[in-house]
Amino acid sequence: MAKVLGYLRAHAKVLKWVFFAYLIGTLVFDFLVERHHPHFWGDSIIGFWALFTLFGCLGMIVFCKGLSHVWLAQREDFYDREDSDNVE
Amino acid sequence: MLSSTIFLHPASYFIIGAFLLPLFSRVKIAQKVIILIVPLLAFWQIHALPESFGVCHLMGFELTFGRVDKLTYVFLHVFTLMALIGAVYCLHVKETGHHIAAFLYVAGSLGTTLAGDYLTIFIFWELMAFASVFLIWYRKKKRSIEAGYRYLLVHTAGGLILLAGIFLRYQNCHDLTFDRILVEGATTADYLIMVGFMLNAAVPPIHAWLPDAYPEATVCGAVFMCAFTTKTAVYVLARAFPGFEMLAIMGAIMTLYGVGYAVIENDARRILAYHIVSQVGYMVCGIGIGTALAINGACAHAYAHILYKALLFMGVGAVLEMTGKSKLNELGGLYKRMPVALFFTVIGGIAISGFPLTSGFISKSMIIAGAGADHRVILMLMLSLAAVGTFLSVGIKLPYFIWFGKDSGVKAKEAPWNMNLAMAGAAFMCIFLGIYPEYLYRMLPFACDYHPYTAYHVSETLQILGFTGLGFYLMVKYLHPDPKSNLDVDWFYRKGSLAFMWCACKPISIANDWIGEVYRTVGLRFTMLVAKALSWFDWEGIDWAVDGSAKGVVKGGDQVRALQTGKIQQYIGGAVAALMIVLLVIVFL
Repeated sequence: MAKVLGYLRAHAKVLKWVFFAYLIGTLVFDFLVERHHPHFWGDSIIGFWALFTLFGCLGMIVFCKGLSHVWLAQREDFYDREDSDNVE
Repeated sequence: MLSSTIFLHPASYFIIGAFLLPLFSRVKIAQKVIILIVPLLAFWQIHALPESFGVCHLMGFELTFGRVDKLTYVFLHVFTLMALIGAVYCLHVKETGHHIAAFLYVAGSLGTTLAGDYLTIFIFWELMAFASVFLIWYRKKKRSIEAGYRYLLVHTAGGLILLAGIFLRYQNCHDLTFDRILVEGATTADYLIMVGFMLNAAVPPIHAWLPDAYPEATVCGAVFMCAFTTKTAVYVLARAFPGFEMLAIMGAIMTLYGVGYAVIENDARRILAYHIVSQVGYMVCGIGIGTALAINGACAHAYAHILYKALLFMGVGAVLEMTGKSKLNELGGLYKRMPVALFFTVIGGIAISGFPLTSGFISKSMIIAGAGADHRVILMLMLSLAAVGTFLSVGIKLPYFIWFGKDSGVKAKEAPWNMNLAMAGAAFMCIFLGIYPEYLYRMLPFACDYHPYTAYHVSETLQILGFTGLGFYLMVKYLHPDPKSNLDVDWFYRKGSLAFMWCACKPISIANDWIGEVYRTVGLRFTMLVAKALSWFDWEGIDWAVDGSAKGVVKGGDQVRALQTGKIQQYIGGAVAALMIVLLVIVFL
């Protein structure tokens, strides 16, 4: 299995085009499927979930990474360090 | 007829097993047989349980140790199956105590699931907390010991809230039967009970114990812990509080909260721990929506989640076991050395992300469809967005940075056979449920008319997965792991405890010294005078009368001191053993 994976990694460019073809394929497929019971307005728009996902995904990365960067991220020994200060 | 007359409470297999294990600590092969036989027996046993059993009376209370219906059955089925998979995974562990802790932990979970009244629930609930803390402590690192104490304190607090709710409830209505509580009739007592349950389900803001403790547990301990505590809480919530609006909203928030942290964390097991928060959020939300479809979805998702989350913890645990590392920034390029672990972890990853033909696809979608069918558009969009984050963080980021990415040059070889076998079992179930969902749907509490494989649902899922991949591809350099960990609400009690210690060390200590000084100068002279007078009285009057007994007390004190080792681990072990003996006596006599 490692060999197969190594081969695929060596041909990453081809994989990239396969992946883009797949993305277009999903949109084409969404154009064709029947919509029986739309739960809400988004269900009747073609490619709604593609857009929702792309913006949701980018937004989530930017928001979470940003929040982590400006506020939440601490050194991994953050609590340990305080403990040892206290002991000293 | 035979099957309905000969049966044991499934938890008692694990309790008896826990008592037998130390007897065979020198005969390792016998111990291994016990470790495998016990969950097998329990798994076989649950098919033969009568609807109600083990009803006994104690001090005017009616305790029900066994109550079986469809809701109980689906959870029992997955708990015992998971106990078997976990037992295979842990087979190589040498410490007998680790196996005992795991067995008692499973017993606590099964006991809670079967309990028909609040007192029985409370007994097994606490057993679960006290047994599982040993799965953290057995890692024997300083961080694990500390995390274990925090875990224990938080769960003790949660247990006390639950107990307060139970007492209040008894005062209100003198009825401790554990059954559905209606939204209209809910009182403070019921809400306290709900908070106690929610703490174990890791609902923010009382969730921080989970990502704090699970990454510090032993490799095998984490596999057990990720399955039982939160999902037992999901069961009790589904039993008592379906249709509570608060749960629907909190659940949807949970799903996003968990994935948000999973996107930014660095430690692989911490990512997975935050993912439990997220996935349990789906179940809590389903319970809160409260329709038959949503509750079915919550149960189905609990079943599927236990298996794929355990699979992920097993895969990452295998890497930790073989390399000693679990931080993404220290790993990378392992695909050449541990391809088997990669294969199984990716199956877990695609199952949690809800790929078609995996268990996540057929369970998660039920809850989202439940939200949609109930016209809860915002909830539905929140759950869908969490699905995006799930695939991003666990489906792609985790395997990418451990097995691909930059080669870290970490030395590794494949995990032992028993670990791989356990992973294969869990991976099989993930695919099997995806291909043959009827197997799971038949077990669900309500009659099920749900078909996951509609063209539109497949199309929706393929878009979500594909475009999440595109998002990762575009942002991969921003997602690169840093050796950092992120603050969470445990900051309040971890820093709060430091403030408490500071108070104890500085102002209180100073005040104490000052009072001591006053006492020495003023009080001491007076006390010496009184003492002299008393001493005279004692010497002349009392001592000859009671001298014998005083010696006896001193001797007895020495003996008790020998028992007091000062190790809380031993005290808890002793208390749990005593509790188990009392329970066995109550049940069998």
